[in-house]
Amino acid sequence: MKKLVLLVTLITFVFTATFATVTAPTVASSNGMVAAVDKYAAEVGARILEMGGNAVDAAIAVSFALGVVEPYASGLGGEGYAVITMADGSKYAIDFRSTAPMAASYEALSELGLTLSKANYTPKGACVPGVLAGIKEAWLLGATLPLADLIQPAIDLARNGFIVDETFAQTTSDKYELVLENGFDFLNEGFVWEVGSTFTNPQLAETLERIKEEGIDTFYTGSLADEIEEFMIENGGFMRKSDLEMYRAIVREPLHGTYRGYDFYVPHPPVSGPQMIAVLNTLENYNLQAMTWDDPLAVHIIQQALVLGDVDRRAYISDPEFYDLPYEAFMSKEYAKTRFMAIDLSQAFDPASYYDYQGDAYPFADGSTYEEVLLGALESVAANESGVEESPSTTHFSIVDKDGNAVAWTQTISSFFGTSVYFKGFFFNNEMYNFASSYREGDVINLTGGMRPRTTICPTVIQKDGKVRWVIGTPGGGRIISTMVQLAVDLIDFNMPVDQAVRTPKFVGYTTYKDLRIEEGYPQTTLDFLEKVLGHKLNVYSYPDLFFGGPNLISVEENGLMIGAGSIRRGGSASAPEF
Amino acid sequence: MKRFLVSLLLIACVAFVGFAADGTEEGLILGEPVAVTSAGQSPGALQFTVVAKMIKLEYTFEKLLSVDSIDISQFKTLVLVVGASGKGLGAANIDIEAEILRVKSLAEAAKENGLKVVICNLEGESRRGPSSDRIVTELAPFADAYFVKSDADQDGFFTALSEEAGVPMATFEKTVDLRDVLTKYFGK
Repeated sequence: MKKLVLLVTLITFVFTATFATVTAPTVASSNGMVAAVDKYAAEVGARILEMGGNAVDAAIAVSFALGVVEPYASGLGGEGYAVITMADGSKYAIDFRSTAPMAASYEALSELGLTLSKANYTPKGACVPGVLAGIKEAWLLGATLPLADLIQPAIDLARNGFIVDETFAQTTSDKYELVLENGFDFLNEGFVWEVGSTFTNPQLAETLERIKEEGIDTFYTGSLADEIEEFMIENGGFMRKSDLEMYRAIVREPLHGTYRGYDFYVPHPPVSGPQMIAVLNTLENYNLQAMTWDDPLAVHIIQQALVLGDVDRRAYISDPEFYDLPYEAFMSKEYAKTRFMAIDLSQAFDPASYYDYQGDAYPFADGSTYEEVLLGALESVAANESGVEESPSTTHFSIVDKDGNAVAWTQTISSFFGTSVYFKGFFFNNEMYNFASSYREGDVINLTGGMRPRTTICPTVIQKDGKVRWVIGTPGGGRIISTMVQLAVDLIDFNMPVDQAVRTPKFVGYTTYKDLRIEEGYPQTTLDFLEKVLGHKLNVYSYPDLFFGGPNLISVEENGLMIGAGSIRRGGSASAPEF
Repeated sequence: MKRFLVSLLLIACVAFVGFAADGTEEGLILGEPVAVTSAGQSPGALQFTVVAKMIKLEYTFEKLLSVDSIDISQFKTLVLVVGASGKGLGAANIDIEAEILRVKSLAEAAKENGLKVVICNLEGESRRGPSSDRIVTELAPFADAYFVKSDADQDGFFTALSEEAGVPMATFEKTVDLRDVLTKYFGK
């Protein structure tokens, strides 16, 4: 008996010693760092690092874990984008955005008396999920541990459960009606999950077990694909096994831009990497360092640059496999000078005429300077507004390992709970809604089978002199680029540490909003100045508000110390291994 | 044996006190059909219907039930599930003032037509903000009973209202436990 007790004690000790991690809203360590919106997921990543895995291994494990602990924000039915920079200098951008099923079209919807809006919370609203294909590509590119080891923590979380936090309970409560109708099995015997209760997901545990045993391909070409098709046929969805078989995650080199001497590695279209670089290029023309974060002029300049970036995004960003758009010209320094010229320092744009301010990036595609272009004739491009208001859904995590490999990974099911259609423990995304609501001549986001819809996510790795300096990203729908640009400016121009950059109140520059949405925390003088002198119509939100996103950041200091900061707007955490 | 009997007696006393606190000894029996609506547009009212289905209660649920949309006299009981939600009010396109006016008119009409009015807090402490409390206070004069999730009454807010009006209050720990309260009051 004594021997048994000793053995159990030893096992406990070894287990504890093996998986010692430090988790808190802000953590500093030289051993590697994970920052995510959820402490359980962050801890999973840190444990993988502790086991000897690298940043890619940890990212895969965190991706799976987030699908368990935040099933309303991402998961197997979702998609996303990752930017990876390896210590050996190689860089990858993995596009695992979802695609429209081939049978999906405006005509098909119309024949059923539907629109994209009406189909949004039905199986017809789902695009072909890409997250597992993205994971597979990431694993092939840079992982060191067996995939089974990286899935296991998620299986354990799903099977053993975890304590429901405020975000989980509130999000479920907000979408209760929808989930009650479409995803009853997710609920707690039909009720909202309450803070402090234990959430388990045996269905998802079983699905993950199958993926662990049969491999990721089971989702795209195997038995799971058969079951998805069966479910979609039974419930009137567009998706078929042939769509899953056709689906590919795309690996490219990330796009590159610079801001005040820092190198930014960002995603390609159809996500918003070019927009972020374009806005920063515009801001580079201002001496923001001479201002403070709460200076009304700084807020005005950044917000107006964001509005211009968003106007242009709607014209220049779409799926590059379907549209040949000048997104590289859009993110050029020369084009940015014309945007700099468009901002009036004494007066806000009239929101009613935002689209009059659309720029023409086409002439910059051949490398022309702004002087050459502006002296020549300008061509006009029709403005495109989808008008879709996006939820603060989605999730982002950042990881850096002790060797300097870095991953910025954003994944989503679009709205919180996606379509709210629940299948084998996960929700199908509602990305279809990110296409134009109806066919519009000349629009670059008309619904087309096989096409990836446009979105605003933008996981980013920032380097200085070839070394990782920051890994940043955020959820937040249409607010993502606003928050991302403010993070970059706060870190670089205002020299904020990462936790302060996360905490600093945020605002939005987005054409869908005709007012300036701003979090509480700015001095009254700043708000008065913005409203009375510069003519902004203010809409002040309480602080902190998830509306402005949930950024999770990591900084790598010169001495190699990594500082991780989880989002205060969504109960985020940083976690580090303790070797 | 003596000790056993004393214990039994004590348990019986405690049980009686608990029962009394729940108020059913006052003879309040609620009748069907039941009209259910939200007072504040949080998801609580919809959760009430999940419990109502469990015990096969005959009910009609409308989030924005109003005196103009329904003949209230066809019901025996009106349940107002209180919980102010900014998002819910926004989605229902109604502001807090209009919402209070709607539920007060409904409660008034219910009383005029002889219905019993139940004020229910189903979401606990999370629906104890200034707006939710204001709705409860405005509706309090019409209440014949309170059904309250225990953690919403940690400060005795509902207890005070029920005692002041001399109407029963039943509390429950978990949302699903409302089933027992409804079973008891509706005699199911």
